[in-house]
Amino acid sequence: MSLKSYEHCCSTIQALASLGKIEGVIPLLHGPQPCLYQNQVGSMSCRPAQLLTAGTLINKSNVIFGGEESLKQQVHNIYKKYKPKVIVIINTCVPQLIGEDVEGVIIELEDEIPDLTVVTCKSGFNYPRSMPLGSDTSWAALVGGFKEKEKVPGSVGLIGRTGQDAGNMAPIDIPLKKAGIKTFLFPAPHIDEMEKIVSADSLYSIHITNQLTSNRIKEKFGTETRFIEIPVGLEGTSNFLRGVADREKNQKLHDIVDAEEKRVRPEFDRIKASFKGKGYKMLLVTGPANEVSIGKIMAELGMEIFVVPSMKNQLYKQEKKIMEDRYGVTFIEEDFELLGDLIEEINPDFISCEFQAQVETVKKFVPTIINMMYLCDYGYDYAIDLGTNFLKTIKQPVYEKWQGFVSRYGG
Amino acid sequence: MSQGKEDFRMQEIHTPSAFEGALWAACGVKDAITVFHSPPGCYINQHVNMLVNDWTVDLYSTNLSYANVMQGAEEKLEDVMRKVISKNPAAVIVVTAPSVEVTQDDVEGVANKVGFKDTVIIRPPIGGSVNDGKDETFLKLLDIMEPVKQKLPNSVNIIGPTYSTFNWMADVCELKRMLEGVGVTVNTVMTAGTTVEEIKRAPKASLNLCIYPYDCGIKTAKEMEKRFGIPYLDDIIPIGFENSSLWLEKIVGLLKVSDSSFVKEEMQSAIEFAKSNMFFTVTFEMTAALSFDNNNTYAVGISEFYKKEAGTEIVMCSVSSEAAAERVSAVCDEVLLNGTIEQKRDKFISTAPMAIFGNFYDKKISMDEGFKNFIFADIPTIGYLGTENCPFMGFRGAKYLVQCLVNEVYMGIFLETKGEMEGKISGGVVPWDIKAEQAMMKISEMIPHFVRSTAMKKLHQVSEQMAVDNGTNVTIEIVQEVSDKFTPTKFKAKFSEVFDDVGPQVPAEEDEDEEVPIESLVFNMEWENAAKNMLEMVPSPFRKVAVENTENYAKEHSSEKVTAAVFEAFRKELGM
Repeated sequence: MSLKSYEHCCSTIQALASLGKIEGVIPLLHGPQPCLYQNQVGSMSCRPAQLLTAGTLINKSNVIFGGEESLKQQVHNIYKKYKPKVIVIINTCVPQLIGEDVEGVIIELEDEIPDLTVVTCKSGFNYPRSMPLGSDTSWAALVGGFKEKEKVPGSVGLIGRTGQDAGNMAPIDIPLKKAGIKTFLFPAPHIDEMEKIVSADSLYSIHITNQLTSNRIKEKFGTETRFIEIPVGLEGTSNFLRGVADREKNQKLHDIVDAEEKRVRPEFDRIKASFKGKGYKMLLVTGPANEVSIGKIMAELGMEIFVVPSMKNQLYKQEKKIMEDRYGVTFIEEDFELLGDLIEEINPDFISCEFQAQVETVKKFVPTIINMMYLCDYGYDYAIDLGTNFLKTIKQPVYEKWQGFVSRYGG
Repeated sequence: MSQGKEDFRMQEIHTPSAFEGALWAACGVKDAITVFHSPPGCYINQHVNMLVNDWTVDLYSTNLSYANVMQGAEEKLEDVMRKVISKNPAAVIVVTAPSVEVTQDDVEGVANKVGFKDTVIIRPPIGGSVNDGKDETFLKLLDIMEPVKQKLPNSVNIIGPTYSTFNWMADVCELKRMLEGVGVTVNTVMTAGTTVEEIKRAPKASLNLCIYPYDCGIKTAKEMEKRFGIPYLDDIIPIGFENSSLWLEKIVGLLKVSDSSFVKEEMQSAIEFAKSNMFFTVTFEMTAALSFDNNNTYAVGISEFYKKEAGTEIVMCSVSSEAAAERVSAVCDEVLLNGTIEQKRDKFISTAPMAIFGNFYDKKISMDEGFKNFIFADIPTIGYLGTENCPFMGFRGAKYLVQCLVNEVYMGIFLETKGEMEGKISGGVVPWDIKAEQAMMKISEMIPHFVRSTAMKKLHQVSEQMAVDNGTNVTIEIVQEVSDKFTPTKFKAKFSEVFDDVGPQVPAEEDEDEEVPIESLVFNMEWENAAKNMLEMVPSPFRKVAVENTENYAKEHSSEKVTAAVFEAFRKELGM
């Protein structure tokens, strides 16, 4: 049993940050003040605008007598002020615990504000071991409010990770478009754009975090989402694109992939050569699922990779098998008390983790990157950039300087 | 819920609660292990939020799931407590999360079962304030203190600093330096940066010092007086030169410390500092807004210091306690008690301060409104690196408060009033209309003396250039446009009064009564219908100018179209 949680953040922040990046959607946090304060402050760095969060501030009397009236009132307040298309009630731990009838409130609101779609998702300790799923549950809730649209024949929908993928899917979107495939991206920065995902003829998941969303789309609109593998690095990106090309019977996409491989392979070979023989070990600890995708890139480039995964769903299992078979990546799924224990055991050269874990890595000045800052990982060029600049970015000589201070002065 | 449809308030979300207060106070005890008895999400949020303000604070959790909470989480707590005790902590502090408070887990029972001697249980109240949480922790820590018969002479405890209290490290460092200067030692700090041994020996002190009397600590001082017979000092905030010396002198008097020359030397240094060219010259011209929702003591201390010793006008102050609001009212006309972020935005605009002190949200709205001079002084921050340097309290704190204000504002305003590096000095010989000259004269009276001459040169130069480009005299319309476009935001609201005094931009006589329907106006940008309708409020002869100025405002604020919000913001900026 771990004495901490090393994950990226509370699933409520994930939900809030993902919804907070979509114009036309207002998230409403239903919870007590500490929950709201922390999630607000924690999500600020992820949100592009609309920085203030609306909440219900559940108090003691709400706990005893129920907070449904406050919730309903706040939905009215938000609608009056912002006129959003959708309000998503993020139902946090305490209202789940006291059994608030959020769905009942939504039914009443449907009559009171017919122009508004109100949906809800459960976050907090509904996902105690997989925080990135806060994004997935919020999207699944959004999908629940989508209306049926006519399918566009031959079109492809790409379902990404969390909110940060809005505007970040170009490395995968561009080759498809060049191959003449009409694409729909999910997420997108506007709710009208996101809703178009139901028009896609076929759907592909490009990360491991969106299983609930995919299931909801299938339930409601009948379109199945396929997971080939996460399209990062050279092999991952090519395999994904070729998989789409095969299924969509698009030779042009194959040709584009051939040309891209020709362009990038020398660069990949150069980076691999620079890492070869160095015996670099990297430990990636539960991020917003990028511990898997960044781990995959670094493994392809030749590092020995250890991953503590942030989730264990079906998509993860599929990706894990690929990474184990192809690169010999080690996945650490059993509990450990503290990261410090893992560091002792593995002795990594580099660590990727979140801030609460960095407290432990910094004690020994182990070169560390913070997961949440490495989120644009799709495609060939990101991997080239990451690999080319990794040692420069991590500034190992600075860590060595400080390790020297520690040997000299203690501390 | 207290708010109604017409009273939509969101800012309470941006205020920390008793749970934050309890954890910030608990985690300050360095060699204790704090366990947050909580779901993992609460834990991560709390831990990471502490790490953005304090260096390497650690925190453990029981990582409760829904099932744990529903079925009772005692076993999980017991497991975690046993594991952390095996790491030989000096004490274990358990803080409960809101979900545990709902189910009322028997945390005390678990602690008794585990039987670790120095275990402290803190159960913050749902709905309590951040200071309630801090006080709750301080009070619970009294239970591990060891009563003594013999006090340590000349020894004090400092009560109040916790992690995530803005600038605590620098303030404590400076207060310790000052106390050492008069021969007084600090026995214990409750709680930031302290140890369990220091907490235990707190009853040895001869005096307790409540350094945040408008926020927290007094309850604890009273209880320590009752339990351990330690008197306390809570009526002087050591901010500013005078109050720092009064604070020290009172401590010296209470402890009967033999007189030292320290206070005299510090005050002589302060007097030398006050003679500095850049002190009164600048501070007398300054105006500041203080937004201290999470540090009422700073609001009281800093507002009084700036007003009384630096001659700086405090044009607006935001606090969260009634007592602080009442005291600050003596030095500031515009005091907001628990103001919303929107109310603060309006006050910043209407009071037009030259510098704003505040938290992350204040920084954001001041940037949005074009205020360039900002000094971080409160939480939340999202990320702020604090050290022993740059205190706000004590003698060095007083110097720093002047230093940061002068350095932030002086050069900023100076540069804002300059033209281009290689720009023209004059556009040629251009005649001025009398009304334009009058307006410019009045504008000059509103600009601080230390930049008046250079700012006026810029305004003259830009006005004349515009007149040359238009092929006209310098008219009052040009002066208004120039004062709108080419002066720092903080002055714009004031300038609008000038144009009221001098007289409106009167159109040519023959146009005076002519009705200008909205549909006849030429719009060079996209306008929302709601915004167009708002032009109805503008008297007919001024609608054309209103359209032009609003569009300029929209462009300056990177708006692609004129919305009702843009129109309203511009109207407010003009003080209308």
